[in-house]
Amino acid sequence: MAYPFQLGFQDATSPIMEELLHFHDHTLMIVFLISSLVLYIISLMLTTKLTHTSTMDAQEVETIWTILPAIILILIALPSLRILYMMDEINSPSLTVKTMGHQWYWSYEYTDYEDLSFDSYMIPTQELKPGELRLLEVDNRVVLPMEVTVRMLISSEDVLHSWAVPSLGLKTDAIPGRLNQTTLMGTRPGLYYGQCSEICGSNHSFMPIVLELVPLSYFEKWSVSML
Amino acid sequence: VQCIILHPHPPRLLAKRLRFHIVGAFAVSLGVAAFLKFAVAKPGKKAYADFYRNYDSMKDFEKMKKAGIFQSAK
Repeated sequence: MAYPFQLGFQDATSPIMEELLHFHDHTLMIVFLISSLVLYIISLMLTTKLTHTSTMDAQEVETIWTILPAIILILIALPSLRILYMMDEINSPSLTVKTMGHQWYWSYEYTDYEDLSFDSYMIPTQELKPGELRLLEVDNRVVLPMEVTVRMLISSEDVLHSWAVPSLGLKTDAIPGRLNQTTLMGTRPGLYYGQCSEICGSNHSFMPIVLELVPLSYFEKWSVSML
Repeated sequence: VQCIILHPHPPRLLAKRLRFHIVGAFAVSLGVAAFLKFAVAKPGKKAYADFYRNYDSMKDFEKMKKAGIFQSAK
């Protein structure tokens, strides 16, 4: 979950999110490189009275400042495309869970074996127990087995929503009349929080998502108890 | 009498300054990038590798279960 004064991403809980973290470090390094170069040049320009007002042609510098940005763009694009294709790899999920966005809650359906479905509403602030997180807790969490590839099918019953869990690197739009798919693989047990990420009305900020990743045996017991 | 007029060579002060500082600018920005790579990116990658090298997810789960945070595992 997010914490006060947070600057970077949340800790990664899936291999894809780890890749995204490292890619972000790589791209930020390039951004710092360009920004420091530009800042240095601006300060150079501001600290001299020397001028040159008769430039006729600048073939060499124009070549450099065309080729260099092209190389930088390629250095960004290649890792980016690598991760993009990695996200789309065929990974044979063991479980499929469907989630539907509503105004203003999520509903989940586990229909691989039996018909299990439930709604997931935010717990209002007045009803929170000590230690629980304001605007993030829900009554029925999405319990999933850890270290298992899960397919999420996401759609909406009314307006646009978006199902997001930052620590797993997931954000997928819930569009009425359309089924969007994403896969997730949590490497650690625990609770992972997310919030609706597409404006959907007055309670858009009050329809969070909580994933509870547990070992497979506990997931099986839980799903039987929920039937 | 032929008179050769010698024109003074211009001192090219700006060009000298630019050459010196452009090299400096590239050196500074590459230094910044190298610093970020070795002080931020590499330690970050290492931190994840070290964490997962001897990670026991069941032990972690038992600790969390004892703390009572799960709905599905009391």
